[in-house]
Amino acid sequence: MKPGPDNFLIQLFQSPLDPGYADAAARKAERPAPSRGRRLGGRGATALACLLIGLLFAVAYQHAVAAKPSTTKAREDLVGDVQSRRKQAEQLQKQAEDLRDQVARARDNALAGRGDAERLRELAAGTGLGKVTGDGVVVTLADAPPQIDPVTGKPSDDNPGVVLDRDLQDIANALWQAGAEAIAINGQRLTATSAIRTAGGAILVDFRPVTGPYQIAAIGPDQDAFAGSGTAQRFRRYVETYRMQFTVKSRKGLTLVAAPDPELRYAGVASPSPSPSGGR
Amino acid sequence: MFAVIALVVGVALGVIFRPTVPVGLVPYLPIAVIAALDAVFGGIRARLDKIFDDKQFVISFISNVLVAALIVYLGDQLGVGGQLSTGVVVVLGVRIFGNVAAIRRHLFRA
Repeated sequence: MKPGPDNFLIQLFQSPLDPGYADAAARKAERPAPSRGRRLGGRGATALACLLIGLLFAVAYQHAVAAKPSTTKAREDLVGDVQSRRKQAEQLQKQAEDLRDQVARARDNALAGRGDAERLRELAAGTGLGKVTGDGVVVTLADAPPQIDPVTGKPSDDNPGVVLDRDLQDIANALWQAGAEAIAINGQRLTATSAIRTAGGAILVDFRPVTGPYQIAAIGPDQDAFAGSGTAQRFRRYVETYRMQFTVKSRKGLTLVAAPDPELRYAGVASPSPSPSGGR
Repeated sequence: MFAVIALVVGVALGVIFRPTVPVGLVPYLPIAVIAALDAVFGGIRARLDKIFDDKQFVISFISNVLVAALIVYLGDQLGVGGQLSTGVVVVLGVRIFGNVAAIRRHLFRA
């Protein structure tokens, strides 16, 4: 089958070379060789065209590279910024913990010999403002793997097995009910005023994001009481129905860090001589 | 040979002098590159087929770039720039692929 000249696609696939070259070769074969000057001119034109092509490649490459920053580089910068700030925050947190330990030790020394120190430590442990160590349970909760849509083969958007803030709240409450003395979610110690909330797609514990798998460590709860509670039974049902992941393990020698000191809302630093310009 | 040297010199000039492209022409750069690649691979193949022709090469390069840019420009004006660009890339891509395959057969006999 000979492709007609109008059958563009077949021609394209069968002879990708520009037919002009064959025509030119045929013409060249018919005619005598061109003069030296003409040949040199042709060479020069080809070289010029190649020069232009090289220039075009270089310019296009530079543009492609330069176009990247506006989208990707800004993002990369932001990610780096976030990471460095997070590291800084962690360092400061560690420093605060060390200082808090020092303060606690100094206070214990100052109060040594009286019963107050013991009482104070117990109160601090109860309110979540002191580091505590002891045996307890660790509840691990994780999102169900996303369901694969059988038609498109892509993960479907609505996953009923996603862990919500309500779930963490319920488990924390059930642990308190089972006699927990201290609870921490992913290392975030809960106090009497802690909030577990959702913001967008993330869960915040005391306004700090926690991500799955969620580990809820509790010191002191009765494991059987928790395992038999309605909440635990409900989560076991979630495991069966939605493939959410939920495990309860008893652990010895758990250490829960102290919660950050609560902000002072009404109290302020007493100034010995109040200045007339509004305390500045 | 001259052509290869000229190509390298062109790239070097572009890298060294970093010419600025008018903003209006920037959208045509990628399509111009594809068109230029088509001309280059067509030329190399013709060279290997021993039917290379200077005039044909220069004209195919210039017309390729111009026509590709014109099609994209027209598409942009009509609101179908993306689709027309795809069409141009497909046609030129098929040609580049076919020519590269021919070059490969020439060079490696496979």
